[in-house]
Amino acid sequence: MADVAEATERTPVSTIEKPQDIPAEWQPNVLAFACHYCAFAAADLAGVMRLSYPPNVKIIRLPCTGKLDHIHVLRAFERGIDGVFVAG
Amino acid sequence: MIVGQQKPFDEIWSMVRDFKKVLVYGCNTCVAICHAGGGKEAEILASMLRMKAAQEGVDMQVDSAAIERHCEPEFFEPLDEKVRTYDLVLSPACGVGVNFLADRLAGAIPVYPGINTSFYGGVPEAGFFVELCGGCGNCILHLTGGICPIVRCSKSLMNGPCGGTNNGKCEVSDQTDCAWYLIVERMKKLGTLEKLLEVQPPRDWSTGTHGGPRRVSLEHIRAYEEKEEKNAATEGK
Repeated sequence: MADVAEATERTPVSTIEKPQDIPAEWQPNVLAFACHYCAFAAADLAGVMRLSYPPNVKIIRLPCTGKLDHIHVLRAFERGIDGVFVAG
Repeated sequence: MIVGQQKPFDEIWSMVRDFKKVLVYGCNTCVAICHAGGGKEAEILASMLRMKAAQEGVDMQVDSAAIERHCEPEFFEPLDEKVRTYDLVLSPACGVGVNFLADRLAGAIPVYPGINTSFYGGVPEAGFFVELCGGCGNCILHLTGGICPIVRCSKSLMNGPCGGTNNGKCEVSDQTDCAWYLIVERMKKLGTLEKLLEVQPPRDWSTGTHGGPRRVSLEHIRAYEEKEEKNAATEGK
């Protein structure tokens, strides 16, 4: 059945950020899409080995990065993610 | 299938920027195959418009939807009411779909095109589309080995190649095969080369695109539908 995909978030003009200087301590928010069978397993192994990575990287596990669609990346940007990392 | 290409984003933005509530309404048939205006492309375009609106400081709601076909009424019905709540429908369907929906909405809200409809074509390989039919209304493919000289020959010649044929390529571009070279080679393989000796008279173009919209009416089907409607009305009484 056809349905309208309504924008889950709407950005009112008042909340749009004005361009500003980047503070020295600023870190980009990075979203990582990782394949369950390789990249996510590698991240898991890194955890087991007690290796650390910056906290501004968030991981989303996918059954396969072949599942990743353009819209997932675009939605991430729409919601304020600064960079998307796809590993698989 | 009908092949189209999405319009440049800046052109789309200039069309939609003055509207507050926009629906990007994709079609999941031909334009989905050519990655121009299916549900996926509608979603992507809607997302890009939302981000552009945010960047430009424009308060705008952009949603997306898609139905299987934009050229038949049944497919529109489930979303009819919802569609009418928007200020603008941006349709990345082919020109047929844009016309069809605009007629259906009858001036209630505008329908703008999101793609440039290019041609009737085939998909010889993924991501590559080529024009193979001009829709001239008077098919002669049986005379030319299944290769259309109307649309594949740059001059639409009917009786062999012009002087510009060059080692199997057209003088217009070395990327374009000479249709008549292809026809001769095909007819040789088919063993029907002698058919080309028959001179084709000047073509009757009255079936072409220059006499207003063309129509095809299947009377037996229309009569059957009318009968069904009458029966339903009688039973309803």
